[in-house]
This record gives sequence, C-alpha cells and structure tokens, in this order.
Amino acid sequence: MDLADVTSQIKRADLLHMYYYLRLTRALEDRITALYRQGRIVGGCYTSHGMEAIAVGYASALERDDVIAPFHRDMGAFLMRGITPGEVLAQYLGKRTGPTKGKDGNVHMGDLKRGIIGFVSHLADNLPVATGAALAFKMRGESRIVVAGTGDGGTSRGDFHEAMNFAAVRKLPVVFFCTNNQYAYSTPLRLQMAITDVVERAKAYGMPGEIVDGNDVAAVYLAAKRGIAKARAGEGPTFFEFKTMRMHGHSEHDPAKYVPPELLEAWKKRDPILAAERLLVEAGYGDETYFHEILERVKKEVEAALEFAEKSPLPEGPEVLEGVFATDADLSHQATHSRSAA
Amino acid sequence: MVKWLIPLGGAIEKDQSLLEVETEKVDLEVPSPASGVLNEILVKEGETVAVGTLLARIDSAPPAEVISRVGGVVVRPVDSDAAGEEHHSPAVRQLAKEHGVDLAHLKGTGAGGRVSKKDVLEFVARTSAPGTTTAASGEPSMGEEILPLTQMRKTIADRMVKSRQTSAHVSTFFEADFSSIASFRTGRDLTYLPFVVRAVTRALRDVPLVNATWGDQGIVIKKDIHVGIATALEEGLLVPVVRHADRKGLTQLAKEIADLAERARSKKLSPDEVQGGTFTITNHGGFGSLFSTPIIHQPQIAILGVGAVQKRAVMINEAIANRAMGNLSLSFAHRVIAGATADQFMAKVKHYLEGGHWEQIL
Amino acid sequence: MTTATSHATGEVTYLEAISQALDEEMMRDERVFLMGEDIGQYGGAFRITEGFLDKYGEWRILDTPLAESGFVGAAIGAAMMGLRPVVEMQFADFISCAFDQITEVAAKNHYRWGAAVPMVIRAPFGGGIHGGPFHSECPEGWFFHSPGLKLVAPSTPYDAKGLLKAAIRDPNPVIYFEHKFLYRRIKATLPTDDYIVPIGKADVKRPGNDISVITYGAMVHLALEAAQMLAKEGIDLEVVDLRTLAPLDKEAIFSSVHKTSKAIVLHEDNKTGGIGAEIAALLAEECFDSLDGPIVRIAAPDTPVPFSTPLEEFFLPKTSDIVAAARKLAAY
Repeated sequence: MDLADVTSQIKRADLLHMYYYLRLTRALEDRITALYRQGRIVGGCYTSHGMEAIAVGYASALERDDVIAPFHRDMGAFLMRGITPGEVLAQYLGKRTGPTKGKDGNVHMGDLKRGIIGFVSHLADNLPVATGAALAFKMRGESRIVVAGTGDGGTSRGDFHEAMNFAAVRKLPVVFFCTNNQYAYSTPLRLQMAITDVVERAKAYGMPGEIVDGNDVAAVYLAAKRGIAKARAGEGPTFFEFKTMRMHGHSEHDPAKYVPPELLEAWKKRDPILAAERLLVEAGYGDETYFHEILERVKKEVEAALEFAEKSPLPEGPEVLEGVFATDADLSHQATHSRSAA
Repeated sequence: MVKWLIPLGGAIEKDQSLLEVETEKVDLEVPSPASGVLNEILVKEGETVAVGTLLARIDSAPPAEVISRVGGVVVRPVDSDAAGEEHHSPAVRQLAKEHGVDLAHLKGTGAGGRVSKKDVLEFVARTSAPGTTTAASGEPSMGEEILPLTQMRKTIADRMVKSRQTSAHVSTFFEADFSSIASFRTGRDLTYLPFVVRAVTRALRDVPLVNATWGDQGIVIKKDIHVGIATALEEGLLVPVVRHADRKGLTQLAKEIADLAERARSKKLSPDEVQGGTFTITNHGGFGSLFSTPIIHQPQIAILGVGAVQKRAVMINEAIANRAMGNLSLSFAHRVIAGATADQFMAKVKHYLEGGHWEQIL
Repeated sequence: MTTATSHATGEVTYLEAISQALDEEMMRDERVFLMGEDIGQYGGAFRITEGFLDKYGEWRILDTPLAESGFVGAAIGAAMMGLRPVVEMQFADFISCAFDQITEVAAKNHYRWGAAVPMVIRAPFGGGIHGGPFHSECPEGWFFHSPGLKLVAPSTPYDAKGLLKAAIRDPNPVIYFEHKFLYRRIKATLPTDDYIVPIGKADVKRPGNDISVITYGAMVHLALEAAQMLAKEGIDLEVVDLRTLAPLDKEAIFSSVHKTSKAIVLHEDNKTGGIGAEIAALLAEECFDSLDGPIVRIAAPDTPVPFSTPLEEFFLPKTSDIVAAARKLAAY
C-alpha cells in the first residue's frame, strides 16, 4: 500500500497496536511449535506462521460487541479479542484453565463473552453459524456485525456456499473472508478449484468482493473496515480474498515437501512482520530499538504464559461426564447481547 | 454303506447327494429324495445291509422362518425325563428364593411346561391364604378348645421358626423424641407410621448395608427401597410392601399404607404386593407395647418395631421436659451386619425422626 | 387463519396442536422465530404455519433457501446469540443434509466451550402415506447416538403441543419428531391454559399387568389397538409411550418391566441398531432378575421405506404383528 494512504487513514497508535499483536502471535505460535517438537504438546498443532497480518488486521477493525467466527489460522484474532496467551497454552496442554477446560484441544476455542464463536474442525461449518449470529443482530436491530472466514479448501464445502447465499439473500451484517494460503494440506489450488481467484465466488452470490494482499496488515485492516462499515450500515455482506502463503506445513507434523521451495523463498521476503516493520520505519513510527523492545516484551509475556499453563491443573477423568447438556442457568448467563450500555 | 455326505442334523436339498453306497456291481452316490434336515442315521459307515433296509430319516418340515420384523420367541421344550436342572427364568428364580418356594414341586403352565412367574405367585397366594383346614387329632376334652391350623397359620409358623434359626437375631433398642412429629400431626390426618417409614428410608440410604438380603453369592445390597408394613389379620399376618418408599411423600405414604392395610384385611391384595420388600416395619405399640424383639422377614436382614408413643419426663440440657417419646426396637441379622452398623442405622432413624422439616415432604 | 390459531376450544388435530404450540410460544416469547422452506408464503408443506407470515412478518417467519445445512447452521448461530429458532425440515428425510451441523456443531457446542444452543428442529417423520424412501424415513436412530441432543416424539395432540413448548423452552438442541401419519388422523380436546409436557418423561398410555409394550410415535396407537383386542383373551398389555427418546425415561421403562416381567419393544424405524436395540440391552442389564421371558422387538425390516402399497404394508409393523407377538410371549 501507498504510505500516504496508510498514514492518512490509520492512526500511529493503532498501527503500533497491530505490530504488537503481530509479534505476540508469532512469538506464541513459535513457542507452540517448539513445545510440539519437544513432545510436550499432544494432538494437532496448527499455526498461522507467515499469515499473521490477516487475523490481526481484521480483528483490529472490530468494535467490542462484534462477533467473530474464526478458523484455525486466526490466532491473532483470538488474542486481540482477549484470549490470553496463558489460556492458549493451557488449552494446548489440555489443562482445566483453558477455554474448553480440556474438552477440546489446540485452536478449537470459543467464548461468547469475548465474542468468539467456537471453532469446529469441519471447515466452513462456522460460516452458516456466523450468518445466524448476524441474523440475530439484524432481527434485534443491533448495530453489531460478524466477521467469519475459512481457507481456500474451506470454500469447496457446501456450507461456504449456503452461507454466502443466505447472507446475500437476507442482506445480513457479515463480512466473509477467505485466507487463500494456496494449499489445503497437500492440495494445491489447481486441484481445489477451477478458478484462479476465490473472489470470483462473491459475484456468484450477489455480494461485492475484493482481493487484498494478506501480508500487508494495513491493507487488511482498511479492507475489513470497509466491509464492516457496509455491514453495519445495513448494506449486506462483503467478501474478501486475502492472498497469502502457508509458510509451515498444514500442521507442525507435516514437512510439506509438496510445496516448491522457490515459492517459500519468494514469500519469505514478503513476511508480514518484516513488511510491518518496513512500514513503521518509513512512517517514522518505529525503529530497531523499538522493535527489539517489543520482541523482548512478547517473549516475556509468552514465558509467563507458559509458566501459568504448566502450573495449571489437568482436568480429572470423571469431568468427562460434565457439560453435555446446558441448564437454564447456563443459558441465562450466556453473553448474547451487547455489553455496552443499552 | 460307504459314506454319509451330509452330517447328522445338516440341511439337505432334494436331489442333492446324500450318501455313497457300494453294491456288488458298482459304487454310487445316492441323491436325496426330499429336502429337509437329516434327523436320524440308522446305518453306520462301513456296515453292510440288505437292500430295503431303512438307512436314515429326513425331517422335511424344518421350523418356519421368523418374520424379520417380529421378534422370535424361542421355546425350549422341557424334557421331563432329562437328567439335570430344569431351566428357570430369572424372575421365577428370584421369586422362588424370596418366598422359599421349592420349584421342583411346582407344575408349570408356561410354554413347553415351564414354570412361569404367574405359577409361582399363584402358588404363594394359595399357600398364604386361609384355605383348607386340617382335622384336629383326637377328640377335644372338656377343658380344651381346639383351633384347627389354617394353611396361613402353618406357613407363618414355619417361616417364623425358620427365620429365627437361620439369622443370628440380635436386638438393639433406641428411643426417639416424637414431639416435632406429634405437633406436626395436629390437624392433619396422619398416623406416626408414614413418618417412621420416611425416616427409615432416609436412614437406609445412609446405611445401605441394612437394605440387603443374604444370598449364596454374598450379601446382596439392594439399590431400591421397598418397605413392608407388617399387618395383623384375624387369621394371622401379612406384610404388604410399599414400593420405592423413599420416593414418596408423607401424604402418599399414608394413603398407600392405609390402602394396603385395608386390602390386606379384605383379602384383596395381589401376589405382587406381598413380595419384593427390602426392609420391614412392625407397629407393635397399638395396645401399649413399649419394646419388642421382632422376627426378621426373610430374606431381609433387619426389622424395625415401633412401640407406643407416650408423654414422658426427659432430661434436655439439664432441665426436665415433657416430651412425646417412642421406642424403636431393631432386630438384625448378626451374620450380615455388626452391632455398630445396626446402631449407626438406628441413630440415623432417630436423627431423621427428630429432625423435623416435615412440611417439605408432605 | 386456521382454527388452530384462533384458540378454538373444540377438538383439535395433532397437526393443529403443533400449530397452536408454535403460535402460543411466538406470542409468549418474542425471541422465538421460525425458519424453513415454504413456511411463510405457502404456510408450510403441511399447512402448519398457515397465516403465520401475515401475523408475525417476514423477519420472524423466514422462507429459507433450499439449504438445510446452511439454515440449520444459521439457527445455531442465532440461538447462541439469544434467540429461539424453530427450524422446520420439510420432511425428516432431509435432515441428513444438516447432519454435520446438528451432530458436530449443535450437539457438541455446550460440552466443548459452554455455549448453549437453544434450538428446535421439527422433523415430520414416519410412513404410511405412500411417500417412498425419501418422504417416510424414521431417522431418529442416527441422532440418538449423538451426545448433546434431545429427541422427542409425541403420539397424541396433548403431547404434541406440550412437548413442542417444552422443546422451545429447553436450553439445548431438541429434535422434535412429529409423525406425519398422525397429522389429521387423531383429535383431542386440549386444555386452554398454558401447559408443557416435560422432556425426559414417558407416559403409561394404558396400564396393564402382563406385558409391557415400550413404544413411541404412531406405533402407540397400534399398541393400544392390540391391547384392546388382547384384553378379550385375558392378556393385559401395559403400553408405555416413551414421548422422549433421548434422554430415555429409564425409571418408567424399568418400573413397567419389573411389574410385568415381559417386554415388547416396538418402533417403526428399522430394526437393527434402532432405539429398540438400546432399550432391549438396558432391560437385559438392569431388569434381568425380573424377566420371565425373552425381550421381543417389533420393528420394520432393514430396508429403505418402499413405495408400492403392498410393499409398504409388509414393511410397516401392524397391529396383527403386535397381537401375534404378545400371544406368544404371554404363553411363554
């Protein structure tokens, strides 16, 4: 993006805030990767390495009472919505202090109080659910919106299409995005779809669509803002295709030998954090010293988070039987409405 | 006879090769004249017999197929000549045990001659109802009156003696303050008995070992609580059972107890209603009895006697108070539970009787 | 507007009872709204929501696109945000399109991250209407096996109204199996006051002493018919109407079989792996000592529902099947 465009539309403080979260996301996920390689995490381990600008970008554009329905490459959004690194690591370690109390693992987190709809492994399942939340907001005349997304692979599923269609038909306040990182596990784009740009699907459902550089946090932020404004104004859904590259394997156990090394080399140069640093330096908002400070801060935060998670208790066997059904009390405490004053 | 090509009991189709024979002239396979099941082989392999000898029997009417959507009820015919035990269903075995019925003496009216639950219950009802009388032996002399023994009296006598002989009966006595119950009763149509039943069921939940039976495989702790209420009749005694007494409030208990007693006296109880109890209560205070050593109702392991409730002077916190007191007499099977357990149970009964909060379980 | 929505106090059909429940709940609670194909403009394939669009408007009666997965997912999202959606499957057979959303999202949400999903899915199920394989199915078995879902199946207008209200008021996802064969075939006079039938409680539709028939849906009526016939032969059936399939009212089932010692489990769904199999297993585990005969299951054979009349007649359990099985079991 053009520097002038950026600095004229985004405040310094907001850019620095985004930079901080890019760094925190990277540090946290690197720590998770390390734990996995040390054998200290069991089960699956999916990161957004090299794609952090998307989640951080769109999450920065949200109001407090908005809701997100993220997928597994959105760690930055979880953090910006208020899930602490300690809770994340507790979740990965299967501890009782994580958002699911050990009932689910890795990025399958959700919390209505923080406006996060819990992620489900079946990609694109979150999209119809997101339209439902948006429907509720519209029916109640609230100005809240929903941001929901999936990967390139997720857009092949029926639920993606049913959700896009329903949102457009009913003009629901939802912003859809696709994190096109070019690979769905080992499946390259050419085996996933016959089109080149996922954005072409937007027109098919009757909603505006845009391609955005997913590694440019400012571009993502501004795009999301546009879509969100439209939704809040009652003009219906928008679709964004965030173009990026998956820099690690599908999960941390996948060496991803099927990805041509040249592709990875090329995209390394476009790393979102390096790009953000270049932008901040150009704008005069930050320098090496500052970046180093932030790096140290996030490192400390992640170490403290790990300590918390390691000291946390594991759930006990019989807890398996708890929580299958909700009670009326559970429901009455559910955060369904705005937390701001009426 | 060379070889049987189908095993005994095997299925055979018409024209399918059934056996191999060797004649003077030739060896040949003989096809079966019919479809069915090879039921009986009369000539063994290697034997030589004259032409025309009966070789085997085929049952050409195999059992009809069960229609897939209607469950099959397989009936095993009972062979009265067969050595070994006759098969009885779980319900029949359980009932027989509870009532001390010897199944060998019962004639079954179920399929294939099996003894059914109904057979056992009818037998029990027959033998506990006042029925045939036996002639008294000898002529009554001037100073005597002979009361012939009814079937019921004989059965009760038998059971009482047997019970004393099998369980090592020990009795323990507690007293309880019935004052809160007495005051709660005023203006309400309730006897003391529902309160006692209620307190007993709570105590049985706390000390589940008392809600058990003695069995060959061990002490069987029953999860459900069914309380028998010993009911005196003109001609003897019946113990109708309040099922799941722990789930019922005072009003319902009172209703059921009254109903069961009424029908016990008018002989309108069904066999179901006098079986399955896990604990018995006997209310012996009617004519002023204070203490009792009741006999355990087998195969249970304890019985609680409730004596008359009387106003007495008792010591409470260094002062003399006027309270409605009643004695509780527990006879328990010492081969199953220790004195400490029995006392623990009784302490709980007392605790719940004195505890109050009756309006919550009305 | 249909007579159902004008609160007539005369007899109402099973279908009208459902309609009444929806109407009353929508009036009582503004969070309740309906979603489904053809429910607005058209009034519903079975006319259950006739007049509702005019009364409640297009934002409470949503005519959805032909996309079961999409609109069930939307119902989940709306329910989590505090609304009470009631989704209509045009035929229960189409619920398979939404299987993923129901079993992976709705059923597991509260367990995994504490988010309650107070959603109802109405599913017109059952055969006997010449519907063939895709309009006559009984799919409850698939969902019976998913922890986190409640399943109900009323057999009378009273239960139909009361259970639907209870389902709407329940904080969990409930699938409401309404038997389409019963829609206009049975009538009853209903209380005018608000009432619910609690979820999780069976109902003894006919007390008896000899054999327990444990059943649900349209089969309840066949069982009652059989009971009438058998009473003349001195065989006394107890008909236990489950009303709720998940969670099963085990207490009612066991209590009945403890009393009678003989059990017939009856359902219209295919036999293998149907809910009857679970009930039979439970009886063997928990009521073994009370059994005086084998546990009998009567169900449809393991085939899809056929279309041609003689085929469908053979397929569906009949009153004569129940009578034959009961006679055999009584004589055991």
